Amino acid sequence: MLTSLHIEGDSFMHRLPVRAKLVALVVLSVGLFLSASLAVQAIAFVIAAALYLSVGLSLKEALKRVGFVFLTIFFLAAVNLFYLSVAEVATLTLRLMALVLFAAAVTATTTISAFMDEIAILLLPLERLGWLKAADVSLALGLVLRFVPDIFARYEAIREAHRARGLPVRPLTIIGPLIILTLKDADTIAAAIDARGFRRQ
Amino acid sequence: MNTRDLVLIALFAAIVVVLGLIPPITLGFIPVPITAQSMGVMLAGCILGAKRGALAFLLFLLLVAIGLPVLSGGRGGLAVLAGPSGGFIIGWVVATFVTGLIAERTVREGQAETRQFIGFFLASVLGGIVVLYAIGMPWVSAVTGTPLLTVATGSLAFIPGDLLKAAIATLAARAVYAGYPLLPARA
Repeated sequence: MLTSLHIEGDSFMHRLPVRAKLVALVVLSVGLFLSASLAVQAIAFVIAAALYLSVGLSLKEALKRVGFVFLTIFFLAAVNLFYLSVAEVATLTLRLMALVLFAAAVTATTTISAFMDEIAILLLPLERLGWLKAADVSLALGLVLRFVPDIFARYEAIREAHRARGLPVRPLTIIGPLIILTLKDADTIAAAIDARGFRRQ
Repeated sequence: MNTRDLVLIALFAAIVVVLGLIPPITLGFIPVPITAQSMGVMLAGCILGAKRGALAFLLFLLLVAIGLPVLSGGRGGLAVLAGPSGGFIIGWVVATFVTGLIAERTVREGQAETRQFIGFFLASVLGGIVVLYAIGMPWVSAVTGTPLLTVATGSLAFIPGDLLKAAIATLAARAVYAGYPLLPARA
């Protein structure tokens, strides 16, 4: 049900270490916002587009992934034409598109576990302060992936129950039962986790 | 944090994911279909309270960032966060915290039902609408260069739908509060 946006491959982006990609994304977003030059944005856009298209997605899938964000960008660009010069609008639009394409390329070439390893490192300072445990974050993430299909099945059961009684499917009559039924499991799940000593406390 | 709170946070993040999988609901009198997921902020704040609600959304944000298509319509990944509406998605965490903070202070057990409704509605509107737009709109303006006033005027179109969401979230939160109260046990 929840398949990652990562795709297998052996492109240049796939071979780069995760940390390099994430640092590059941060540097790119700060760098492009500091530059007001149309040429710089255009070059960044071409490189980002080339990288994104090289990761091995079909053209249709590649467009689908960024389509919605691009639609927002184009809409705001159209609005901007009333306020800013064409060159300024082009600069702003190319910058955003470059960033979105590069970010999409990072997402498509990085596995969840690779991301989680980096996140564990980023969380180290917080762990030293005693604010949280990186293991808890992984546990919580695992719980989400584990329970989404269950909760979705519960949603469908509630919807069927509505149909069986000839009731219209309304958000209000669905959300209440869905949340209560789901959260009521919390005690059982917590007891199961503690019984297995996953959190070592 | 005890294990139960950790589980509640994870379960709520999972509920928000499922709310994104539900087909958008069209209501007769509003042209834009309502995505159930966008009610998540109000629901998380009103049901789990400030801290646990905000952590549930932080976890959800993590799911988006590591490339899971958990946003409604199957969107996700760093590209969405890098786009113009990234501020709204990151703003969800703060908005949930504020919603929870207000709900914790206004809603108590033993109050008249109407006062509880008012408390949840106030929390949903201030946290889920006012705070969210206060973060999201300047972000759009900063990223796209569109003047803030124009962004604000354009956003007005979403306010009726948002108020309706706040009303639905209020009724749902109050139903959960009556059936399985979690808000008083502050994490």
